Amino acid sequence: MFSHVFVYRLKSIIRDRQLVFWTLMFPILLATLFNMAFSNLSKAEEFVKIPIAIIDNEAYQKSSTLKTAIAYVSEQDNPKKNMFLVTLTTQAVAEDLLKNNKVAGYIYVDQVAKLVVKQSGLYQSIIKSFLDNYNQSSTTFAEILKRDPSKFQALMADAENRGNFLKETSSTKNKPDTTVNYFYTLIAMACLYGGYMGMKEIVAIQADMSPQGARQNLAPVHKMKVLLYDLSAALVVHFCTLLAVLAYIVFVLRINFGDQIGYILLLCLFGSMTGLSFGAFVGAALKKSEGVKIGILTGVTMSLSFFAGMMYVDMKYIVTKAAPIMAYINPANVITDGFYALYYYDTHTRYFMNLSILAGFVALLCILTYLILRRRRYASI
Amino acid sequence: MPVFNAYFKVIKKNLPQIFIYLGIFLLLSILLSNLNQSTSTTSFTQSKIKMAFFNDDTHGYQGDSDVVKGLKEYLAKNTELIAIDDQVEKIQDALFFRNVEYIARLPVGFTSRFLKAEKDLQIEKTAVPGSTSAIYVDLLINKYINTAYTYLRVLPNISPKDLSRQVQADLLTTTDVTLQSFDTYTGNTQSAVYYYNYLAYSLFAILILGVSAFMIVFRNVDIKRRNLCSPVTLKSMNLQIFLGNIVFALATYLILIGFSFVLYGNDMMNWNGALFCANAFVFTLAAMSISFLISNLATESSISAVTNVVTLGTCFLSGVFVPQQFLGDTVLTVASFTPTFWFVKANNTIGSMVNFSQENVSQVGGYMAVQVGFAIAVLIVTYFIIKKSRRTKS
Repeated sequence: MFSHVFVYRLKSIIRDRQLVFWTLMFPILLATLFNMAFSNLSKAEEFVKIPIAIIDNEAYQKSSTLKTAIAYVSEQDNPKKNMFLVTLTTQAVAEDLLKNNKVAGYIYVDQVAKLVVKQSGLYQSIIKSFLDNYNQSSTTFAEILKRDPSKFQALMADAENRGNFLKETSSTKNKPDTTVNYFYTLIAMACLYGGYMGMKEIVAIQADMSPQGARQNLAPVHKMKVLLYDLSAALVVHFCTLLAVLAYIVFVLRINFGDQIGYILLLCLFGSMTGLSFGAFVGAALKKSEGVKIGILTGVTMSLSFFAGMMYVDMKYIVTKAAPIMAYINPANVITDGFYALYYYDTHTRYFMNLSILAGFVALLCILTYLILRRRRYASI
Repeated sequence: MPVFNAYFKVIKKNLPQIFIYLGIFLLLSILLSNLNQSTSTTSFTQSKIKMAFFNDDTHGYQGDSDVVKGLKEYLAKNTELIAIDDQVEKIQDALFFRNVEYIARLPVGFTSRFLKAEKDLQIEKTAVPGSTSAIYVDLLINKYINTAYTYLRVLPNISPKDLSRQVQADLLTTTDVTLQSFDTYTGNTQSAVYYYNYLAYSLFAILILGVSAFMIVFRNVDIKRRNLCSPVTLKSMNLQIFLGNIVFALATYLILIGFSFVLYGNDMMNWNGALFCANAFVFTLAAMSISFLISNLATESSISAVTNVVTLGTCFLSGVFVPQQFLGDTVLTVASFTPTFWFVKANNTIGSMVNFSQENVSQVGGYMAVQVGFAIAVLIVTYFIIKKSRRTKS
């Protein structure tokens, strides 16, 4: 009996072209678009040498300390200190470079060094901070000499004595790259799209919703057994589509999911079950036409994905901080968070917590669906 | 006009779906315009990086030592100090979602080693590797310690309190910054730019859905045969369909630009606003002719899939969701074969426009002309498709 029902459900699901599009092709398409749109996004944060211009006048040539300092931070062969890309030029050319965004700002030395920029920004702030450094040391020198004029020699000796006091430590194994989270929410959405399959199975087993349901109810097989067989067929198909989507994202788009394949697959399986049972529950609970049910399912899935950060990545963090409960009862967020925990944390505590929340969802939704469906009679349809 | 009336009966049936797209769009644009409250830039403002500061060197002091207090005060002035709980996961989360971009942790023994001006003193920092903001904060912290060390080495008897005060006073010396504005607009059109760019998504989706909803009904073979034997000439019927499409597209256009006046009021009452409206109008024409093409090809079961693929696809590639400057060259080249790309490009240009010289306006005019070109080209293609399908069916 099992193999008979199972095989026919399998065929029925695979031949539903709309279903295959939404569960398989749509996530793949969205992943491709995400990849095109976000591939340069993390580069926007990366530091690139700041192009600046310096007006080459007499005052600049005389200020040897500034010249040394500039030379120090624009050394070609020292990538650590190499901050600026310097053009020495005239006032007119510098204006022109600034106007056409070829430099972030230009420096001119009058009595002190001054800066001309076009807008406020991080690069401009860095140039300013660098010049501050230079201008401030003369204030410090003056202050020290005021306190103890005999220290002139000591000060001169100390001038070159500047150090770096910061040590980079990384608390995590992977880079905090925000773009990966978009792909995690995408997988979460693909998991919840399993809801379409879950709903299809519910429609196919109820006599008042489809002719297949009427036929199935005539057969002398326990209804819940049939539903169980149906849902396992749906699980097989949906889990396979998820694997295909995952494989596409990992091997074609080369998005980093970490290297714990076993854990990732387990999370996908739980996500798939969550999606299926969610769809089954919506299908059983609502007495509406199939179109309305699909609309509701789509709307709910999209909203859940939105709050998990699919359209705007900070959303996930905002929700977690403002209303932690909302983060825990949102299956899309729990799935996303599971991938995030695998990628970013060293321990598995959070991952297993997410997994057990998903297991709780599945159990709850299945029980509810069972309570709704059991002992239902279709006297006249 | 029976056909024209039927057109709007079909549209009415599909209103819920249309309202979903309208609702999503309005929600997004209100959300985004609140996020992008751009400050007007008449003077230079120094960037402030969000950072977290932890001090492990509390043993033997009541809270922070004077040295730490000084450093912290300095950082509070030059960065935005964010308080987070000192738990590994919370700190990691904050960094991942850029709630903080830099985390500094003072080690045990910091104060005593600092006062000895030890050269190998090290503060632990965690930041996004290689990011610009990290380099900036490095610069700020190093500057503070280097200045303090100069005092400590040259005047070894200086008290910690005096030192902190003096270093901070010295670091108040700032460089003179001049902000040169080369005719670039500094007003608040940025929100309107976002709004109009997003408009590409909802307008396109609504038009495809509406036009197809009608055409799918009318392309049904039985209905088509019935219509052909009615006493309405084919010419009149096509004209009414055309009129229906135009009225529907215009209504959508007016509703959408109407909201932009409600949301951005004064920022729209200028030449920039007028150009936004004109640009949106030509985009409506292009979107309508593409919708008409799609409606002649799609079936009832495939229409929602096609709508999503076309709208999401063009919008992602053309820089509606992610600004064009962040997209790769290949993506932009592909995108330039869609009207959305030119629509977004024109919006971005209009948004930063302050000088309405003939040269500037004609640049935008060029982008609009490309969109009109798309509209005409697609209409011609559609005409041949309709003609061909009529011939094969008869």
